[in-house]
Amino acid sequence: MTTDETRRNGQGTDHEAAIEAEGIELTYADGTRAVQGVDLRVPRGEFFGFLGPNGAGKTTTIKTLATLLSPTAGTVHVNGFDAVAEPRKVRQSIGYMAQETSVDPELTAEENLRFACEAYGVPRADRAERIAELLDLVDLADVADKRAEEFSGGMKKRLDAATALVHSPPLVFLDEPTTGLDPKARNRLWAYFREMNDAGTTIFLTTQYLEEADQLCDRLSVIVDGRIVATGSPADLKREVGGEILDIDLEDGSDARERAVEVAESSSLFEAEATVEATADGITVTSRRARERGTDLLVALRDAGLDVVGFNVRAPTLDDVFLAITGEHLDAEGEDGTDETDEAAAAPEVGG
Amino acid sequence: MSTPTGAVDGAAETGGTVERTSNTFLGDVWVNYKRWNLKAVRNPFVLVVSLVQPVIFLVLFTQVFGGVVEGTLRGPAGGLNYETYLAPAIAIQVAIAAAVTSGIGLVNDIENGMFEKVLVSPMNRTAVFLGKTLAEVTRIAAQIGIILVLSVALGAEIATGLPGALGIVAVGVLFSLSFAAFSNTLAVVTRDQESTIIGANLLQFPLLFLSSAFIPLERLPGWIQGFATVNPVTYGVDAARAIVLGRDVITVVDVPGFEGIWHTLVPALAVLLALDLLLGGVAVYLLSRASSSAVR
Repeated sequence: MTTDETRRNGQGTDHEAAIEAEGIELTYADGTRAVQGVDLRVPRGEFFGFLGPNGAGKTTTIKTLATLLSPTAGTVHVNGFDAVAEPRKVRQSIGYMAQETSVDPELTAEENLRFACEAYGVPRADRAERIAELLDLVDLADVADKRAEEFSGGMKKRLDAATALVHSPPLVFLDEPTTGLDPKARNRLWAYFREMNDAGTTIFLTTQYLEEADQLCDRLSVIVDGRIVATGSPADLKREVGGEILDIDLEDGSDARERAVEVAESSSLFEAEATVEATADGITVTSRRARERGTDLLVALRDAGLDVVGFNVRAPTLDDVFLAITGEHLDAEGEDGTDETDEAAAAPEVGG
Repeated sequence: MSTPTGAVDGAAETGGTVERTSNTFLGDVWVNYKRWNLKAVRNPFVLVVSLVQPVIFLVLFTQVFGGVVEGTLRGPAGGLNYETYLAPAIAIQVAIAAAVTSGIGLVNDIENGMFEKVLVSPMNRTAVFLGKTLAEVTRIAAQIGIILVLSVALGAEIATGLPGALGIVAVGVLFSLSFAAFSNTLAVVTRDQESTIIGANLLQFPLLFLSSAFIPLERLPGWIQGFATVNPVTYGVDAARAIVLGRDVITVVDVPGFEGIWHTLVPALAVLLALDLLLGGVAVYLLSRASSSAVR
């Protein structure tokens, strides 16, 4: 296919990468460096996750990719188009679902979709069919004539998602699409996103839900303080944690957790790379030999006079990944972040 | 309004590949014009409120002050009834009352995310704001039309007839653009609905009363006459009143070279146009800044 043919088909020059960004820097007028040297390459068809705490720079990055913000430095190509030099071509080739639900409350579901169809140049002859398809897709066909202001939060989110798809974009940006939703609504949206991705749509998702990234993403990057600190598939990243997790719950005691950490560290039961950490209820040991040596540690703790009230050996979660990378739990972040937009968003407790 | 450009390669199969067309400037204006008109119809409260107050003024002023003011109108303004004198002022008042609500729609759009949604679409941004403004202008024109019909029903006489009535609507629209721009500027700066309403309304009554709207300037204190010279309401009302009466009425400026009605219309319309360009320019600048980014 020639370059011209490629571009006529709504794609830029690079067929392989939906997103290609090098050295993105974004500094706000007040001097806040929200994004600092971010490199990204997202192949077409991938479900890519961008994971980080509030204020890490997720929203600033996604807005830069979607042409809503201009990078202070670096290059951004989306669907092969230069986001700075050809913003309208980028906008024609993407769908964008903002963090805050974006629907016109005074218009009906159908009218919101019709407006989106017109805004994205869906031909008049195709609009009715396309609107009906999307209303079915997001289960809003029964309330197509109701105004969006009458909808629940979940229904508005689904309508918002549908308006981002009217032109069947090859790439869709989803900025924390399920933040603030109840688990049922969240699961329904996840199903739609999987369906979109299965059909070939590249999806770029930002999230602070570890479970969301784990469930949906082929690959993800972890961003902290405007910098990407890790990239890989969820399984690869978990492997980097270095083994399995042994959680041990202890009877309350003034120094029980500190003593248990000492016992575990001095027991020589685990390899040198293993980590031991005091938790709210006891201790957590991350080790390749957690399952094999777990019972020996329980005995050692009992011999040291500590009362074990429960234990569990499990595979690492993305929270463990985050902890291993940054030394902090994901849900403990966000108080002093740099991304104003992220900070403005509701910040429910991180799931998963 | 659109031209086919082909299918989206690699598009999602959520309903199949969708043929897409490229947006045109006029097409984008039309899409936004329709949306804002639909919203106005859906929310008639704003329409009614911006019409009710001028109607009350028209009825009450003519009934309560009519007899008193008509005495003064026999002087410099000539013998005419107060309904005829007041009609152009109320037409301008309704233009202000409607125009100052323009920013509320923008604040709502910012708050419910539609502002950003529109910006991330391929629509031309100038066309987006032009469509919104044209929808508001349509609403204002209709409201001025209603006021004129009501004024005539109450006894006002438009010397220039139907073409004159259309001219008054045109003057009202030209006048309203600067206030709509001011309201949108407030909206972008404050991003708050209450501040936008309060800020715009705060100006409305002082500007109306410190002008030639309700009583001939010659009958007002000297400091008010001085302020009226720089008050845009004076120019809007005088232009509309010149059309209603079919003669020169302006007293705050004297531009030689024009006679009769044109002695009023030329300077008044020039001032209104200049104000539109100035305040419109500020609003467009702030809107474009808000719609790009606050990055360094």
